[in-house]
Amino acid sequence: MSDEGLMELAERVVRYAKNLGADEVGCTVSEGTHVTIQRRGGKIEQATEATTRGLSLSVLCDDRYSSNSTSDLRTEALEPFVKRAVDSTGFLEPDPARRQADAELCGRGVSVEQLDQDDPYWHQRTAEDRSRYAEELEQALVSLHTDDVISSAVYSADGRSHTIRVMSNGFSGESEGAWFAAGGEMALREGDKRPESSAYYAQRYFSDLPPIEEIAAEVRRRTRERLGAGPIDTGVYPMLLPGRAAGRILGALAGPMSGGSLHQGRSCLAGKLGEAIGSKKFTLIDDPTLARGLGSRPWDGDAIRSRPRTLINQGVLEQYNIGLYHSRKLDMPPTSGGRSNWIIPPGDRSVAQIAAELPKAIVVTGFLGGNSNGTTGDFSLGIRGVLWENGEPTQSLSEMNVTGNITTLFLSLTEVANDPWVYGSVRSPTLLFQDVQFSGS
Amino acid sequence: MVQNHSPRHWFSQFGITDELIRSVLSEATRHGADDADLYFEHSISTAVGLSDRQVNRAHTTIDLGMGVRVVLGDQVGYAFTEDLRPSSLRKAAATASEIARHASAHPPVGPCKLVLPDYYPVSRHWSDVDLSERVPLVRKWEAAAFDRDPRVHKVQVSLADTDKHVLIARADGTVVGDYRPMTRAFLSITAVDGDTRESGAYNVAARQDLSYYDEARQQRLVEHSVDRALRSLDAGSPPAGEMPVVLAAGSSGILLHEAIGHGMEADFNRKAISIYSDKMDKRIAPDDVTIVDDGTLPGARGSINCDDEASPTEKTVLVDRGTLRSYLHDRISARHYGVDPTGSGRRESFRHPVLPRMRATYMEAGSHSPQDIIRSVKKGLYCETFANGSVQIGAGDFAFYVRHGYLIEDGKLTQPVKDVNLIGNGPKVLESIEMVGDDLEIDEGGWTCGKDGQGVPVSQGMPTVKVANLSVGGGRQ
Repeated sequence: MSDEGLMELAERVVRYAKNLGADEVGCTVSEGTHVTIQRRGGKIEQATEATTRGLSLSVLCDDRYSSNSTSDLRTEALEPFVKRAVDSTGFLEPDPARRQADAELCGRGVSVEQLDQDDPYWHQRTAEDRSRYAEELEQALVSLHTDDVISSAVYSADGRSHTIRVMSNGFSGESEGAWFAAGGEMALREGDKRPESSAYYAQRYFSDLPPIEEIAAEVRRRTRERLGAGPIDTGVYPMLLPGRAAGRILGALAGPMSGGSLHQGRSCLAGKLGEAIGSKKFTLIDDPTLARGLGSRPWDGDAIRSRPRTLINQGVLEQYNIGLYHSRKLDMPPTSGGRSNWIIPPGDRSVAQIAAELPKAIVVTGFLGGNSNGTTGDFSLGIRGVLWENGEPTQSLSEMNVTGNITTLFLSLTEVANDPWVYGSVRSPTLLFQDVQFSGS
Repeated sequence: MVQNHSPRHWFSQFGITDELIRSVLSEATRHGADDADLYFEHSISTAVGLSDRQVNRAHTTIDLGMGVRVVLGDQVGYAFTEDLRPSSLRKAAATASEIARHASAHPPVGPCKLVLPDYYPVSRHWSDVDLSERVPLVRKWEAAAFDRDPRVHKVQVSLADTDKHVLIARADGTVVGDYRPMTRAFLSITAVDGDTRESGAYNVAARQDLSYYDEARQQRLVEHSVDRALRSLDAGSPPAGEMPVVLAAGSSGILLHEAIGHGMEADFNRKAISIYSDKMDKRIAPDDVTIVDDGTLPGARGSINCDDEASPTEKTVLVDRGTLRSYLHDRISARHYGVDPTGSGRRESFRHPVLPRMRATYMEAGSHSPQDIIRSVKKGLYCETFANGSVQIGAGDFAFYVRHGYLIEDGKLTQPVKDVNLIGNGPKVLESIEMVGDDLEIDEGGWTCGKDGQGVPVSQGMPTVKVANLSVGGGRQ
C-alpha cells in the first residue's frame, strides 16, 4: 500500500489508465473509519473498530466500458488491476452512452459550509466518550425495565468518510462527512412469545441525536406496543403511516421512477410525466443540498452538480430520476440517477388531531417482508401496527398484510401531519391514506 | 480436478507467514481471551452484463483484508484492516484485544493444520476463465429468450463469478484455508402483450466451475425466466384473508428459512430472544416433519468445507420427526450450551464478525404425492415461486413474498396469481403442516440470507407441503 494522499493516488491511477489506452477514466478513492459499541446485560457485547480504504475505477476504451473496484491498494497490485480493467473492455461491445458528462456540468453544486456534514466533535470523541455514552444509554434503558423484560441491548456508532473523485474530463472533487447513530432493542415475555422491537436514530451531528432518555423511552414504548399483537378482520381501513416507516412505501416509488426501469420497460410510471399520481397533498422533493442531510452530496453519480428537484408537485409527477447513461438511452434530459434526501413537506395538524377524527385507523409502525412489482406497481407487504379507534390505541396488530398499487395509493393521501422524521434520508411526516386493503383473519 | 489451494501458499504472496500469524495472535490475546481468530480473505469477482442486445458492461471487484476477533465469554472485540502490512495487522489485533483488557492471560500456541473435505471440487478456477468464454454464453441465453416467444420485449443477462480464498488462524493453533468458488447467472425478461407489460426473472447459482452451465441448466434458465414473465401477463391477485396454502417443492424452503431457521440460530436462543429458546427436545411440528441444515451438499451455494471460525461443517438435524433437537451453533454459543459447534459460524467477509447462520436448509421428503396434496384442498392458494422473506425472531411472525402461484379450486390449479405476501406465525404454521410430499427438491437459485447487516449465500429446499392456514395479502375481489 502506498502512503501517498488520496488525491495523488486517484490522479496517478487516471494517468496510468490513460497511458494504457483508455479514452475516458473515472476514479474514486475513499477512506473511512467507523466504531460501533453494542451493550447487553451490563457489559459490552460487541465492539468493532476499523479504518477502510477502497478504490473504484471506470474506463472507456473505444466506447467499451468496464467498472472495477479493489481494496488491495498495494502499489504492486494496483498496476495489474488497472491493466486488467482496460484489457477487459476489449471483449465488450461499444456503448457510447457510457461517455462522461460534459465538464461544464460537473462540479460541486453546494458549498462545504452549506452541506455542513462534518461535525467537529467527531475528531474530539475519545474511546472513553464512546464507552461512557453507550453505558449511559444502557442504564437509561435498564431503568425502564419491567418484570417482563427478557433482554435489552443498546447500540452506539459513529464514523467518518473521506472521498476523492477524479475524472479524465478534468473534474476533481473531495467530500468529507461524519455520522452518528444510536438506538436500542428490547424483548418481553408474553406467554410463549417474546415480542420485541427497537428504535434507531442517525444524524450527521452528534448534538442532533435525541437525548439518551428519549431514545430509551421510545425503545420501551415501541416494544410494549407489541404486547397482545394479533390480526383483525380482513378489510379496508384508513392507514396512518408514520415517517419512520414511510421509507418502505416511498421506496416502492423509487424503482419505477428510475431511468433503468424506464429504459427496460419495467416502470409503472412510464408515460405519466405531467399526470396526477397522487392527491394534491402529495409533494415529494429530492434535495441533495440539505444541510446536515444524511443523503446530501455535492455532486451526483455522474459528477454533475447537485441541485434540489421537485419530483412530485401536489400529486403531479414532474421528474424521474434519470442518470446520464439512461438519459442518453431514453433521449431524455438527465435529472439525477439516484435519490438523495427525499422530503415530504409537513402539514399543519398533529397526528393526535388527525387520529381523533377517525373512528378506526391502522397505524403501520413497521413492515415484515413483502415486495412490490415496479412494472405493474402492485405491492403486498406484511405489517406490524396498532389499531386506533377515535384517537386511542386499542389493539396491537401482527400477522397482517397491506396490499395495493403504488400508482393509485397516493391518490388516497388525504392528510400530511406536522411531525417530519429527521433521522434518515427519507424525511416524511405521518401520512394518512383512506381505503387501504388489509388482510388479517 | 484442480486441487484446493494451499492457503499458506496463497496468502504467502501477501506476506502472511506462520511467524506473522503467531505474532498477530499474540497481540490479539495480550490481555487474555477465551478465544481469538484471524480471518484472511482474498477474492476476485467478475461479472459481464448484457442489455439492449449488447454485451456492454464488465465489472471486476478485488477484495483483500483481515478481520481479527477476540472473545471473552460472550463478549466480542472485532477489528479489520484492508492493509496486510504487519504493522496494520498488529494494530487491528491490538484494537480487538481491548475487549479483554481485564482478563487473565491466554498464551497462543503454534499453528497446526486441519485437513478439510472438498464439497466443491472444480476443474478450473474462475480466474482462469477468460471473458471471451463468458460472453458467448450470455449472448446465447439472450438469443434463446427472444426466440422462445414474440412477446419477449427486453432481455437483461448477467453472469457473475467469484474466486475466494480464506485463511483462518485460531488462538488454539488451528490454521485452515479454503478455496470457495461461486457462480450465478441471472436472466430478466420484460414481456409485452398489447397494453399489458410484465417482468420475470430466473437465476441459478452454485459453488461450481464453468461446467455447471450444462445444456439442461442453460435451457431451464431461459425457459423459466421467459415463462415467468409470460405467465404474469395473465395472472391476477388472489383474494385476501386466511386460507389453506400448498407450497411447491423447491424454493418454498423459504418458509423453513424464515419460519424456523432463523429462530434456530443459537445466538438468539443464548440471549433468550427466540421464540424457540425454551423448546429444546419439545414437539414443535407433526411427526412427518424433519428439518435439517446442511453444509455438505456437493456444489451447493450454501455449502462450506469449514465454517468461518474453522469448525468442520456438517448436516445438522434441527427438527427430528417433529421434535426440536439442535440449534445452529458457532463457537460462542456452543461453549454457552456445552455442545460441539455445528459448523454454522459464518460471516459475509473479513469486515464482519462471525454469527450462527444457515447453510442449506430443507425439509426431508414425506409420503404424499404432490397431486394428492393439491387434490385435498377445496379452496386455497398454490405458491410456486418466491422472491424474499423476513421474520421477527421473538414473536415468531414471518412473511414471504410469492411471485407466482395459482388458485386451488376443488382440488385443481386454476387461475394464475402473482405478487402476494404471505404472513404467519412460525410455531403455529409448523403445527399446522398437514401433508408433506415425497418430492424433495433443493432449489438451484442464488439465495442470500441477511442478518445484522451481513449477507451470506444459502440454499434451501422443500418437498410439496400443505399448510392448513396462512394469511394471504391479496387484493379486493
